[in-house]
Amino acid sequence: MSLKDIFLVFLKIGSFSFGGVYSMLTFFERELVDKRKWITHEEFIESVALGQMTPGPPIVNTGICIGYKLKKIKGALVTTVGQAFTGTVLAILLAIFYTKSKNNPLLVSIMKGVGAAVVGLLLSIIYKMAGKTIKDYKTALFALSAFFALAVFKLNPIGLILAAGILGLIVYGRRAK
Amino acid sequence: MILLKFCWILIIINAMTIGGGFVMLPMLQREFVEKYHWLTNQEFVDAIAMGQITPGPLTVMNAFIGYKIYGLTGAIMAMISTYLPCIIIVTLVAKYYYDYKESIIVNSSFKGIKPAVIGLLAAVAISLGKTSLVDPYTFGIAIISFAVIAFTKIDPTFIIIGAGIIGALFL
Repeated sequence: MSLKDIFLVFLKIGSFSFGGVYSMLTFFERELVDKRKWITHEEFIESVALGQMTPGPPIVNTGICIGYKLKKIKGALVTTVGQAFTGTVLAILLAIFYTKSKNNPLLVSIMKGVGAAVVGLLLSIIYKMAGKTIKDYKTALFALSAFFALAVFKLNPIGLILAAGILGLIVYGRRAK
Repeated sequence: MILLKFCWILIIINAMTIGGGFVMLPMLQREFVEKYHWLTNQEFVDAIAMGQITPGPLTVMNAFIGYKIYGLTGAIMAMISTYLPCIIIVTLVAKYYYDYKESIIVNSSFKGIKPAVIGLLAAVAISLGKTSLVDPYTFGIAIISFAVIAFTKIDPTFIIIGAGIIGALFL
């Protein structure tokens, strides 16, 4: 397989996958493991795990990891560009259209509906993440403290993430040994 | 100067947040909307919608924001700043995968960060809700969109597009 082949597969993955993480991962596995046999199922699972425990968007990171396994740093670059290409072009086109017709009453009405749906989407993401992550009083306390620190005290979220990491280290680090 | 600052913020946020595109929203909102006023809350909500209706990762919304702030250069620089930290970190971690996976420092700090980002995201949802939910109709759309995405397997993209059509017809 050449870099161009890798690019084209990831371009396909990036162009035809919408929203859901799981639909995207199935797509990955079908294209890379089942159809092309570039990586094994175990390598795929490892890449998914790595994508989830590194900073940044997990799906992109999974792709970077697979690209790196296939062709080192060049592979990592190509998978990233392939995955983001279509979305980026469309986002720029939408941005051009959006800035030009910002005061168009039809666009304002459309975005009013869309904005409300985005809030619902965020709530569902929170609901799903909470179901997976908040399992005991400690995790609940972490979530609640972060919520109040941002919603009420307006503390800086970057600082809050750092603080949560350090507190996690104190709370969970000792027990792990 | 704005462009440099913009890129730097994206690099920091992408290098620091674990758990997906949505987790970055609290940081992006604080920096872009509240601190530097490059976007209004409304434009920020619109950017999230754009990230959601375009295929591929949600983070392409940063290209939309970049265009809004600094034109085409801003959009391209946004993408580079978003994905460069990921490429560096992931390739490093892939090399030392087993050390990293077993690392007590990594695991225990993530255990604290993961629930905390849910709290941060909830705070942002409220702040964006204050901007976007202005009447019974918008409240209704939000509740329906929550219920459909949380309890069915329907792709959120269709919900957003559907809400846009409802907006065009009734709002």
